[in-house]
Amino acid sequence: MATVALRRPKKFLRLLLENQKFTIGMVIFLTLFVLAIFANFFIETGKRTSGSLTPRQPPGETALLGSDSLGRSIASQMGEAVPNSLQVGLIAAFLGTTIGALIGFSSGYFGGVVDGVLRILIDVFLSVPSLLFLILIASLLRGVSVQVMAIIIGLFAWAWPARQVRAQVLSLKERGFVQVSRLSGMSGLEIIFRELMPHMLPWLGANFVNAFIAAILAESGLSILGLGPQREMTLGMMIYWALSYGALLQNQWWWWFIPVITLMALFLALYLIHIGLEEVSNPRLRQQGA
Amino acid sequence: MGAVLLKLAAMGGSLGSMDLVEEYRRMFGLDRSLWEQYLSFMRELLQGNLGYSIGSFPSQVSDMIRYAIPWTIGLLTITTIISWGMGSIIGAIVGWKGKRSRFFQMLVPIALVLYTTPYYILALILVYFFASYWQIFPLSGASSVGVVQGFSTRYILDLLHHAALPALSIILVSLGWWFLSMRSLITSLKGEDYIHNAEAMGIKEPRILWGYAFRNALLPQTTGLAISFGHIVGGALVTEVIFAYPGIGWLIFNSIKSLDYPVIQGSVLLIIISVTLANFLIDIAYPLIDPRIRYERAGS
Repeated sequence: MATVALRRPKKFLRLLLENQKFTIGMVIFLTLFVLAIFANFFIETGKRTSGSLTPRQPPGETALLGSDSLGRSIASQMGEAVPNSLQVGLIAAFLGTTIGALIGFSSGYFGGVVDGVLRILIDVFLSVPSLLFLILIASLLRGVSVQVMAIIIGLFAWAWPARQVRAQVLSLKERGFVQVSRLSGMSGLEIIFRELMPHMLPWLGANFVNAFIAAILAESGLSILGLGPQREMTLGMMIYWALSYGALLQNQWWWWFIPVITLMALFLALYLIHIGLEEVSNPRLRQQGA
Repeated sequence: MGAVLLKLAAMGGSLGSMDLVEEYRRMFGLDRSLWEQYLSFMRELLQGNLGYSIGSFPSQVSDMIRYAIPWTIGLLTITTIISWGMGSIIGAIVGWKGKRSRFFQMLVPIALVLYTTPYYILALILVYFFASYWQIFPLSGASSVGVVQGFSTRYILDLLHHAALPALSIILVSLGWWFLSMRSLITSLKGEDYIHNAEAMGIKEPRILWGYAFRNALLPQTTGLAISFGHIVGGALVTEVIFAYPGIGWLIFNSIKSLDYPVIQGSVLLIIISVTLANFLIDIAYPLIDPRIRYERAGS
């Protein structure tokens, strides 16, 4: 069960590394990450400003990944875009999972009126597409920064984790060990953090990765609609600029295709990590996995 | 109201004086407190009145929604059913064959890539190849200018021609998901006792697959279908914007960009109703799909 993670961290790690999906996903993810970080050491960041290269150059010797209509280097834009997109994912997923876990824990553990109110709140947030709210907020704010955008996305990403945590807590709290600790006089919060939390950690990890995917998805969607951080570069904003300068029609494939393929690789990698984590923390899935 | 329009015309349609802005605010009730605005919205709503759009003024919100909704429902209902059906059937076969078939096993990573790709990213790739590079399909819109609307073959062909790319991007992505979920359902059902029992009885394999395993896997798969039907109305917002497809997503996006509150309220209301309705309908449909589920009256 999930407890393997904490009682025997080495075994958990071994299981993870033996899981093919997790390793493939992790390798793709780390490759992207390292490439993006190191790119900034090798590529002159000055080439990000317009006019530093001949415009509309295909990838070649003078420009590693080509240049856009304004003469900005695609490679150095990527060096800025990938870390920024990952930052959005990280902040939003952290916020969403934390808020979701707190609400889910309280709702499932305390029950009664607390549960009643929180459950309605969760259901409301689940049934209204969060993209609508995000579009509304982003267009009211006009010109958000990467971090602000990440926080807004995170504030709308908690409903799904909350519902799942609630369901898990409901089943866990009837188990023997929780009742024993309640009888031995532990307080509600103590039980949540010392008894329930360890069981949920690997599983929260899987949820975190899921929220990560959703956040990057929301970021790129908003940016492509023109509501992203206008002064900074993210993968979504690169696609937005490429689209608004007609790169798709002028056959400047390198401008839009490089961020697109990077996004696809990122999504695939994170999804594989997500399935891997789920399979390892849930043995029933492991037997089934092909 | 007439006075406002006259004033607007007299000024040549420019933004104009604060008087005019004030008059507009009064007209749409924007100068009142949020509570009053909410109460009057609810009062009008009970009479089936969604009010007037601010952005494209003389038109009513209900008319704008009525015009947009067939596009969205038409596009998404058809694509959802096609991808659900195809995904479920292929997924069942692949799940059943398991590792016995090399060819079918190859479909799994393809489905994984398709499923993890967002609609609009796939849409961009399709636009590049089919609309820009080969120029087989149009770039955007739902019908050509100059083609007369009506039940003529020319108009219908034109509609299909325009819907092809948005439809294809939605079908491919959701196909991946239905495929993966059906495959994992069938794989887990394969170990069940009744399947082994049926095998021992000498029932032919296709009959076990379609009559026993597939039917049991249909319940969770149908739940998924209902959930995505509920999300149809708000579904493919980014796709609609990319293709300038005049559905609900396009309407909402434009009304949000111009802060056209009545239209936003009306369309969000519609989305919430459709999600709730889908959840309700699926609860009713469960006993039809799975005879083991029966709703009993309290006390019986």
